[in-house]
Amino acid sequence: MNQLEAFFLKHYIKTPKRNLFRFSFVFMVLGIALSVAILSAGLNLFQGYESNLKRLLLDSFAHINISSIYRDYIDENSSDDILDIVFEKDGVRSAVPLLQHQLMAQVDGKVRAANLMAFKENDNTYYHEYISQGKNEITFGEIIVGHYLAEELGLGLGDEITLMYPRLDQISAFGLHSVTGNFKIVGIYRCGYYENDRSLVICDIDEARDLLNLPTGYTRIHVKLDKPDNAAYYGAEIASELNNRFSVIPWNYYAESLLRLVKMEKWLIYIVFSFLVLIAGINVISAVGTIILDKTDEIAILHTLGAKPKSIKKLFAYRVGIAAVIAVIIGQIFGLILSWLVEKQGIYKLKGEVYFIETLTFELSYMNLGIVFITATILIFICIMIPLRQIQKMQVMDIVRRNY
Amino acid sequence: MILSARDIFKSYKDSDQVIEVLKGASLEVSSGDLICITGKSGCGKSTLLYILGLLDAPDKGELEIAGKMIDSRSNLAHEFRNRDLGFVFQFHYLIEDLTATDNVMLPQLILGKSEGAARKRAQELLDYLGLSHRLDRYPNQLSGGEQQRVSLARALANDPKLVLADEPTGNLDPAHSSEVWKMIRDLNKELDQSFVIVTHDHEAAMQANKVYELSEGVLRQDG
Repeated sequence: MNQLEAFFLKHYIKTPKRNLFRFSFVFMVLGIALSVAILSAGLNLFQGYESNLKRLLLDSFAHINISSIYRDYIDENSSDDILDIVFEKDGVRSAVPLLQHQLMAQVDGKVRAANLMAFKENDNTYYHEYISQGKNEITFGEIIVGHYLAEELGLGLGDEITLMYPRLDQISAFGLHSVTGNFKIVGIYRCGYYENDRSLVICDIDEARDLLNLPTGYTRIHVKLDKPDNAAYYGAEIASELNNRFSVIPWNYYAESLLRLVKMEKWLIYIVFSFLVLIAGINVISAVGTIILDKTDEIAILHTLGAKPKSIKKLFAYRVGIAAVIAVIIGQIFGLILSWLVEKQGIYKLKGEVYFIETLTFELSYMNLGIVFITATILIFICIMIPLRQIQKMQVMDIVRRNY
Repeated sequence: MILSARDIFKSYKDSDQVIEVLKGASLEVSSGDLICITGKSGCGKSTLLYILGLLDAPDKGELEIAGKMIDSRSNLAHEFRNRDLGFVFQFHYLIEDLTATDNVMLPQLILGKSEGAARKRAQELLDYLGLSHRLDRYPNQLSGGEQQRVSLARALANDPKLVLADEPTGNLDPAHSSEVWKMIRDLNKELDQSFVIVTHDHEAAMQANKVYELSEGVLRQDG
């Protein structure tokens, strides 16, 4: 930056009212601020959705799922061996054997599919923090039901629910023989992950054994880690130490593609909304064109005084650039306010069956802030530079003569 | 010799017609010269001045400034305009958003002088031209005569070898006009500053020590 450019830059910053807050800049600044606000809000909300979904997936599901390969259950001895190996690892938060099975929940002729879970040790499980009503301790004859499952069946705390398990090994001339069990609802589970809230039922493990006709053993072992992102690494280690006798599947195997899809959608939103900034850039081209027309005399005199066209172009670029950067920052603040308003509004909710979660939350990410700032600044800078090319083509003679 | 222009030719195309404005005009300017070029309206006085000031290129001819051949299309032209030449136009062409001092600082900042040094020199020049009470005024807060004096101070800011003026008093009333002419004469005498001034005012031109008339594309010295 030469002395002339530094002088003008300082002048623009020192006297913004005279140089930046001009009528020709108003619509340019407004256009940039609005488009950046929408881009920022879009990214903030998608970032919030992505983080929320990942958090709920990791809270609701095992980070590592260990199950039998050859049989449909893990016997007691194997379960103890597996737990020994798992607990040797640093960073394992919990590991709990459980029974998990699909069955039917029924009340007054209404039937819904349910996902039964019964843990070996209830104290060592992770559903406790999502009990929205009632208690998290269950004894014989008691059950915890997912919020939406209870809602769909019209049930509440204290109501009775029947679980029905069709026994495929007991088919008669009258059809399948179903084993049923009646339970009293003592807790409502609501984690925010729609699929879980719509299907989960948790009961005592001995009752589950009766229902499923599984007198011993477990269907799987759920392992939770301090750092879920290390699940693939730990999973491979555990599988190897178990001599690949068991199926060891990290959470990424189930959810990675979903999270990747969400991430991809976030970047698609980024690309689409970036076009809004580009459209705002057309306003910038027009504003810069107007300023150049307005300032032809200044351009001519600076040229006459010996300033190089490149230097003159920079003076205009700084002037519009400062206004544009201010507009981008204003837009990012607006975007934040917009994201907050969307989060706080209670009118529109996501459809859980489509989007997995129901609440819109935003997350402020420094990376997203940086990306929006850089994208908007680059696009606006290109739009500033396009009309500035006129300066190079200007003939001083013509400008001076025009005024005579 | 500060400036030497030899056999300058320049023509313009107007529709299908080619108008030859300069047909071999030559001029030499030495240190301390106060030269006026007169001629009828549209005879090419301003064109010649812009060619001398490297703002326009001749079709043919040679131009030498401070002993160096120079082409207005070359990158060096900017440096010559900034360092060796000063310009005063009929309209002041001051930058409206800058104060009188800031305007006078511009050529110095282009040259690369520090802001402090440029400000000091600008204030000295404005003081010399009787504008010490107008340093922080914006152009629209100055009278026509004052604006032209600021413009003169700006032309002198880099201590140029030659100041080129195109009808410097053409836009002023008689009182302000004679004020500016006095200023030019004083600068010429006291600081040995060279001027080439284009004017259609023969009476004013008589104040110069050399007067040329541009007629039929050729310069002829009067008297």
